[in-house]
Amino acid sequence: MPEHLTASLLIALIGGIVDLDSTATWQFMISQPIVAAPLTGLFLGNMFGEAAAGLKLGLMVGPILQLIWIEQLPLGMNVPPDAALASVLSVALGFIAGHGYESYSEREVCYTVALLLAVALGLLGRSLDMFVRRLNTSIDAWVSQKVEDNQLWAIAFGHTMGGVFTFTKAFIFCFLVVWLGVEPLKYFTSTLSFKHASGFIVVQGLLPVVGFSVLASMCVKDRREMRWLIGGIIVFTLLPAKIWLGIGAAIFVLYRYGWRRAAK
Amino acid sequence: MRGLPRFMLAKIAFRSFFLQSSWNYRGMMNMGFLYAIAPGLDRLHEPGPAREAAYLRHLEYFNTNPYFASIVMGVTLALEERLSHGEITEDIIHDTKEGLMTACAAIGDGLFWDSWRPFVAAAALTFAFGNYLMTPLIFLALYNLPHLYFRFFGIFWGYREGTHIIRSLRQFQFPQIRQSLRYGTLVLLAYLIPNHVNLHTPFLLTNLPLEYFYFGEKVVQGIGALLLVALGTIAYRARIDVLLISFLLMVCALVLYHWGILI
Repeated sequence: MPEHLTASLLIALIGGIVDLDSTATWQFMISQPIVAAPLTGLFLGNMFGEAAAGLKLGLMVGPILQLIWIEQLPLGMNVPPDAALASVLSVALGFIAGHGYESYSEREVCYTVALLLAVALGLLGRSLDMFVRRLNTSIDAWVSQKVEDNQLWAIAFGHTMGGVFTFTKAFIFCFLVVWLGVEPLKYFTSTLSFKHASGFIVVQGLLPVVGFSVLASMCVKDRREMRWLIGGIIVFTLLPAKIWLGIGAAIFVLYRYGWRRAAK
Repeated sequence: MRGLPRFMLAKIAFRSFFLQSSWNYRGMMNMGFLYAIAPGLDRLHEPGPAREAAYLRHLEYFNTNPYFASIVMGVTLALEERLSHGEITEDIIHDTKEGLMTACAAIGDGLFWDSWRPFVAAAALTFAFGNYLMTPLIFLALYNLPHLYFRFFGIFWGYREGTHIIRSLRQFQFPQIRQSLRYGTLVLLAYLIPNHVNLHTPFLLTNLPLEYFYFGEKVVQGIGALLLVALGTIAYRARIDVLLISFLLMVCALVLYHWGILI
């Protein structure tokens, strides 16, 4: 079996499983980009004999997508963009298309363009989610009819069919995107000059800004909090970039404003 | 009829993981809810009209936070048991379920979707940007602690306490927890913004002595990131789509790179 076809099937399978977690079952949050992207990178990288590179790509793409869609909540009728499929496809397209290139800059172009494409694919994924939910509505009417006729087995059957639809939708969507999308991405990359390609590395470094803006919009509720955030940014600009400083400060704030006040 | 044994409640808690499989626009999580509690209903009601009526009763509209749904399931089963003993009427089940699902949706969505997920994500992002390979596991372990707690204990809790559950939920002080999580997320954001936006300009390299270069670059990166995030926040609050903001950022970055302002 050709390597590209095997990779497409693998991604389709990962996409199906991850999408089930996203909207249908479990909700352990393996569908969150920060988990789904590294997971895809690990499996795909393992297949191509570059597990570490795949995982690293997942860790680059996942946080950006996680931030961009952090405010999109599955509340009531609202169907958020399909961040799970976007993460899987972004890593898959970027990795498979970039795999053929020797130079660092061309690989980075593939990763960045795949990431931007994935944002659009996430929106398309939302439309497919809505389609599946419409199918489920027909099943619901059928199940109600069957239960009225005292055929209670219809519940388990109808409910299972909902899961099957979700998996099938994600499987086919991922397979087609990876199967058909890698070559155009490679072609686009090959048309760029070295200078343009390096520009995409700059873009990649700036993309977290979009996500940070979304998270800031979500968390800052008034001017006082905005001043605190700006003050915090200035302090952390002057302090060394150590993870324990950020985590330590967050734990202190949780204790100060959460558990201590609750105890009072 | 008999009460529900612990094994049965654990089985229902397990089935609640599939709550949203058949989410639909008419009854939302109704089929998932009925599928989860079906073993309990089968045990509480004899085959025949009583069981059929119970199934039809729970095929009505149902929507709540999926993690808090097991609490509603527990309370509903406690009421179904009382109905099977003839202590209450069907209307009480309907009204209690409707009131409880709304309350659980408000508490659960606010706690999990609006506070806990962004906080855990921000904490995980600090590790991800530092290239820690265990980041996904850290995220999953942290996120799922309260999730699994409410999923599994919720059903036992709801079944034991019945309609008194709301009083017990108050002891958690959810508004306080949410506020502290939001502040925690803000602190993590303040750490992430200056340290993980890659903004480099060639002017520092040519104009600053080497001993001040790294500090100068960190200051420029911090201030630049702050300005960009401020612009992004204004754009997002003006309801400009994320995709369009990303595209505009890409175009600006490419133009600035082309002019030699960014490297």
